[in-house]
Amino acid sequence: MSTPLLSVRGLRTRFDTFAGTVRAVDGVSFDIGAGEVMGLVGESGGGKSVVGFSILGLIDPPGQIDGGQILLDGEDLARAPERRLQQVRGREIAMVFQDPMTSLNPLHTVGRQMDEVLRLHTDLGSAARREACVAMLDSVGISRASERLGAYPHQFSGGMRQRVVIAIALLAGPRLLIADEPTTALDVTIQAQILRLMRRQIEQRGAAMILITHDLAVVSEMADHVTVLYCGRVVERGATAELVRAPAHPYTRGLIDSIPDPTDRRTRLRQIPGTVPDIRNLPAGCNFRGRCPRAQDRCAREEPELVAQRGTLFAACHYPLAPGETP
Amino acid sequence: MTAMLEVRDLAMEFAVGGGLFDRLRIDRGGVRLANPVVHAVNGVSFSIERGQVMALVGESGCGKSTVAKAIARIHRPTAGEIRIDGQDIASLGQRALLPVRARMQMIFQDPYASLDPRQRVRDIVAEPLLEQRGSRRGVAEEVAALLARVGLNAEHGGRYPHQFSGGQRQRIGIARALSVRPGLIVADEPVSALDVSIQAQILNLMMDLRDEFGLAYLFISHDLSVVHHIADHVGVMYLGFLVETAPRDALFATPRHPYTRALLSAAPSIRDRSGTPEIELVGEVPSALDLPSGCCFHTRCPFAWDRCAAERPVLRDVDGGQAVACHLLDEPERDRP
Repeated sequence: MSTPLLSVRGLRTRFDTFAGTVRAVDGVSFDIGAGEVMGLVGESGGGKSVVGFSILGLIDPPGQIDGGQILLDGEDLARAPERRLQQVRGREIAMVFQDPMTSLNPLHTVGRQMDEVLRLHTDLGSAARREACVAMLDSVGISRASERLGAYPHQFSGGMRQRVVIAIALLAGPRLLIADEPTTALDVTIQAQILRLMRRQIEQRGAAMILITHDLAVVSEMADHVTVLYCGRVVERGATAELVRAPAHPYTRGLIDSIPDPTDRRTRLRQIPGTVPDIRNLPAGCNFRGRCPRAQDRCAREEPELVAQRGTLFAACHYPLAPGETP
Repeated sequence: MTAMLEVRDLAMEFAVGGGLFDRLRIDRGGVRLANPVVHAVNGVSFSIERGQVMALVGESGCGKSTVAKAIARIHRPTAGEIRIDGQDIASLGQRALLPVRARMQMIFQDPYASLDPRQRVRDIVAEPLLEQRGSRRGVAEEVAALLARVGLNAEHGGRYPHQFSGGQRQRIGIARALSVRPGLIVADEPVSALDVSIQAQILNLMMDLRDEFGLAYLFISHDLSVVHHIADHVGVMYLGFLVETAPRDALFATPRHPYTRALLSAAPSIRDRSGTPEIELVGEVPSALDLPSGCCFHTRCPFAWDRCAAERPVLRDVDGGQAVACHLLDEPERDRP
């Protein structure tokens, strides 16, 4: 890979609360090249959404970015002033949020919300902006686009609203799209439509995408490579096919095995015991050791580093899995 | 032997209501008041044997949760029969339903909203027992045993729901449902609010309890991989109609209804990354306020022809215990894109 489009290096984001400091993102690094889709997966509280918000500089007090670099084409966004971030947001990096019901302003027409992006980020005249909006709505599969510009969000269904949100995100021609659970609120046949649409738009525009999701099945169909987060740290990353087929980290294995497998006629699912630890009081050593069947004394003493395993895989584990091995 | 649950021609309609001016219609004949009705469930029939798991799948608005709530008698159905152990409960009043609730309980989707935040866990679990027996004798011991059975310990009984995670709360909901030793549990999306690793724990617990107590489940879900894992029998719903029912393996191996086929091919899978889906659906589900004529699916079906808009297909048995509501059964030669 040549110089990546986005390179996140040792990102730390913390929230100082009365109940203690939450290190929501604790030293996360990854690279994405142009035209690539990266899946960022993990369970609730893993820190995956905070990574997305950090890249866009959308961390509000009591949260703060506490260290690390967010390099977009070599420019460090973690140290950029707010005025520069305002130029970046929407123009170079755009975001699609989970809930299409709340990410549009109910008081403005869809056309006005689309127009705003172009007014802020381009010098197009109003007729040209309108034309661009119609073309974009059309390309995300909304029929009678010029009429629909005058409609309000409540006049659209959930799937249609998510198309509008995607259209707004793509309008200024961003190089990176961050999609945070973009299809979680949608039905499965609509989800398939939206995922196909996003994939096609990314490919046509040569843009990159971070797909944040808890759904490994979605990631396995969409992403070129995957980063797995647990308690704010990267526990494993690698090419999608390899990571899904034979992960090296027991947590990734556990996530995959928790999904019922139609070809496996066992009656019990393999489950990960226990629950995610309290992120304010993480245990010493490996964060996963309390739930890990392979944990040894060393896991309680030494925190594992993310190191190269077989193939494209990197995993943070003292006792990584061999291919085909179960934890 | 009578079935644990038998549902026949269940229908559920909801009046939309709204203010006078929302309902006012002016047409050629003059001014009139419209009474719009949501046709949530339109004549659904199925049965569940003891110890069996029947899953209802479909997308939002297909009526699967409404079926669950009608069977649990949270709603009073507009028409149809609901037989629990042979007894029709479709139109029973609240007092007559009390003994029925000892045979049928419900587990809800949202573990945050379905537990009273001001009650201690032991009181939540004891409530159905106290309702049924009217006496506290032995209840404390039974509650302790129930909590232990679902994987919580005795000290948890003194805590409040907010002190628990989503998975633990769902265990409390299961203990509450189990307390009166029902034969049937209606579970409406019991794992969809949970993380995948916790989902597996709860599914395993539910299946262990089925084996131990001979429970029958009506399992409502939109997640096909979960349904494939847990169900013996599957019913597919679309716009309030049951369009296909089949034993689990038959449904997943040879789905017959075009909607079932589209649903199966749209579901993302971690194991099977093969090629293009068999049927790609375009467009969205029509409104239940204004049902399409003929077949409910004809507006999105790639095979639909004029008969589909004119005549509503009924559920007909095909081989292997499968039943399908589709005109393609009569004209299989039309089944190609």
